[in-house]
Amino acid sequence: MPGPLAGIRIIEMGQLIAIPFSMKMLADMGAQVIRLESTGRLESYRSDSVYKNDISGEFWNKGANFYEQNRNKLGVTLDLSKPEGLAILRELVSVADIFSENFTPRVIKNFGLEYEDLKKIKPDIIMVSSTGYGFYGPWANYGATGPATEGAAGLAYQTGYAGSDSPMMSEIPYTDYTSGEHTVFGVMAALMHRLRTGEGQFVDISQTQATSATIPEILMDYSANKRSGPRMGNQDTVMSPHGCYQTQGEDRWITIAVATDEEWQSLCRVLKQDDWASDSRFADSLSRWQNRDELDELIGPVTSTWLSHDLMHALQNEGVAAGVVMDSKDLLFDPHLVERNFYEVVSHHESTGIPPLPYAGRPWKLSKTPAVDGMAAPLMGEHNTLILGDLLGKTAEEMAALEETGIIGYGPTTPRPVQRPPLEEQVRQGRMQRFETDFEEQVRRTFPA
Amino acid sequence: MSERALEGVKVLDLTHHISGPYCTKLLADFGAEVLKVERPGGDPTRRMAPFLNDDVDSEKSLVFAYLNTNKQSVTLNLQTEKGIQVLKSLIEHTDVVVENFAPRVMASLGLAFASLQKINPSLVLTSISNFGQTGPYRDYKAADIIEYAMGGLMYISGGYDREPLKHAFNQAQFKAGTDGAAATLMAMYHQRLTGEGQHVDISIQEAVATGLRDVVNNFTYTGAVRRRQPNHSGDLSRLRASSDGHLIPNPGIGTGLNWGVMVDFMDLPELGDDKFNSPSARLVNAEELGQILDSYYLKQNKYERFYAAHEKRFIFGVVQSPEEVMADPQFEARSFFVDIDHPALGTLKYPGAPFEMSGTPWDVRTPAPSLGQHNQEIIGQRLGHTPEDLAQMRANEII
Repeated sequence: MPGPLAGIRIIEMGQLIAIPFSMKMLADMGAQVIRLESTGRLESYRSDSVYKNDISGEFWNKGANFYEQNRNKLGVTLDLSKPEGLAILRELVSVADIFSENFTPRVIKNFGLEYEDLKKIKPDIIMVSSTGYGFYGPWANYGATGPATEGAAGLAYQTGYAGSDSPMMSEIPYTDYTSGEHTVFGVMAALMHRLRTGEGQFVDISQTQATSATIPEILMDYSANKRSGPRMGNQDTVMSPHGCYQTQGEDRWITIAVATDEEWQSLCRVLKQDDWASDSRFADSLSRWQNRDELDELIGPVTSTWLSHDLMHALQNEGVAAGVVMDSKDLLFDPHLVERNFYEVVSHHESTGIPPLPYAGRPWKLSKTPAVDGMAAPLMGEHNTLILGDLLGKTAEEMAALEETGIIGYGPTTPRPVQRPPLEEQVRQGRMQRFETDFEEQVRRTFPA
Repeated sequence: MSERALEGVKVLDLTHHISGPYCTKLLADFGAEVLKVERPGGDPTRRMAPFLNDDVDSEKSLVFAYLNTNKQSVTLNLQTEKGIQVLKSLIEHTDVVVENFAPRVMASLGLAFASLQKINPSLVLTSISNFGQTGPYRDYKAADIIEYAMGGLMYISGGYDREPLKHAFNQAQFKAGTDGAAATLMAMYHQRLTGEGQHVDISIQEAVATGLRDVVNNFTYTGAVRRRQPNHSGDLSRLRASSDGHLIPNPGIGTGLNWGVMVDFMDLPELGDDKFNSPSARLVNAEELGQILDSYYLKQNKYERFYAAHEKRFIFGVVQSPEEVMADPQFEARSFFVDIDHPALGTLKYPGAPFEMSGTPWDVRTPAPSLGQHNQEIIGQRLGHTPEDLAQMRANEII
């Protein structure tokens, strides 16, 4: 099925998440995304977290994170350190609508790939750069990771357990996604403008800036009142109870948020705690909030006798907001997400030995122009012939010469697989909660090819 | 100044709280014409803390002021026939309607997408809700913490042996708002090309579950269930306390770790010892290494180390307080914070453009509107209701 972006061609010079994730979203919606990569400098997501932890063979075509971020893209290898490689990139830009990248500005300037350079090749090109701190300014060339920008933006500072003197940050590159979501919006805004005026432009995404735009609660308070509140853990500034409580089983939890007196009475009824319902300390929302620590201490021991899913359904049926703290398996097999077809089964190239697997879809469903049918991320160099040969018109001899001189290739020049410890060891180290040996069967049952 | 990117896009905004208003703020700040329709009591965010000087006044909520720049406000009671009638005449002349009611509400008001399409065939309707417009949890309630839990971010966040922890504030709502704005433009792009409208269904749970990196595929690739990571004191890129806050050293990312260079950088010759100079040795002596690093960083100034590290192209990060964020020289150079003058709040600095576009401006034409500020202009002048009609509607609590 064609998506709304059919006919848009994007050249992606991305790495890891920030740009690859955003371009995947656009690829899902019908854009043709041509992803460039280097055989000399192997993207770490290609070689880490490989299928079944098995690094034999072409491990660079088996990395979980690579497949996660690069669905529906075409893959071309290109050595940009050689003039012939850069020349081909410029040829690609001349037939593209969008050029996207997430290297530091220093690298882009060295390659001569700034917006002003590209505009000469393709006057209406839209260029989007995603950097830690923005394309210009004193920190422009500082490399960054998700944790670094989560810290710089002001988000980490306020996150943490109540009473703790340490901030707490996400264990995934969280701001890559926050900025990635803004990148998709920014590209669409630029496309809307081009549709009306024919003009391209440069979209400069600062991962820090996009994240700071999502925390007005603290930045506006500081701006107006010159203060910042203490870390509150899972507690809320108004609601109580509002937190994460233990349930039956190892490391199992439920979240509950009570906004009104009616919901409070319902909570007491479901948990069978008549004395709480009549306790004057918890009579109204203000008194519950003032006594929230005591309340939290009372709730945990009661919820811990319930299974988290049972309690969620029981509370929701009585109109109380409650949600299971879902681990990866809960999420994958969640009946609601499965019914909404949130996960999409994608088939992998047979050379990889990876069976068809489900991947997370998108947060939107468009009734008339839904996404295209999912295609797995490309093998290294999989579409060299399609793009350089068929699209740019390189002859078979030229293609052979490009391969001969290492401008293009089909595997890393220096293969360095990352062997993760066996799963038993990862569980012992506490990195994984558990593992299940029949996972293939479980996945196949819910997500048939 | 050149035209704004979303010039000419007309949005009728039925949203409240955070996710919907952030969606329409993004559209408005990049040039769309956004008309906010509020219930006669106003968007509940008008009563959300913090307020200027803690003055609990519906025109002084700081988050409301941030979320509603560049919008006009009319009030309409959608529980009345007349209110619905006025709304429908507004829908005739808009490109987009954005709403974030519970999924049953629009249909119960006679405003299901099929009905709206009869009024305006090329309409884009964007609906943002907790769990989407379909499925068994459709009518379940939520708050940000519930979305964190059910979207999968919470289980992997927090201390290894403590309860999972959510990010501060309302991150799930902001994610969904951003996704809503992006998807609305995808539908608008299609509408401008073909004249066809459609319904866009945004689930906040899915907005969270889309951005989890390898949580789910750890299971599909190996059968493993990832959990919150244990805190290894010898972990080189772990958050460390400094004399004046916290910093995040990430030596080795991007550059490949050269231990000798790191030892020189920290000026800690004892780390050159055999106990520490290989990855396996550092693993064996992780606890001792952790203690040395902890006491080292505690004596450092975070910005001094941050700048020194970047001179050497080490990727260091710094945890900034709100005060530090507002004084950040990078934000200063990019003019991120902007002065906005508001009748009840005076002139304050607000977080500005989430990103920059070279050819089309992000700008603030008007501050957040007061409740019903544009009733006269929109319902009176644009829709042609007489002053008597308006007085009547006011008397009947329709506006």
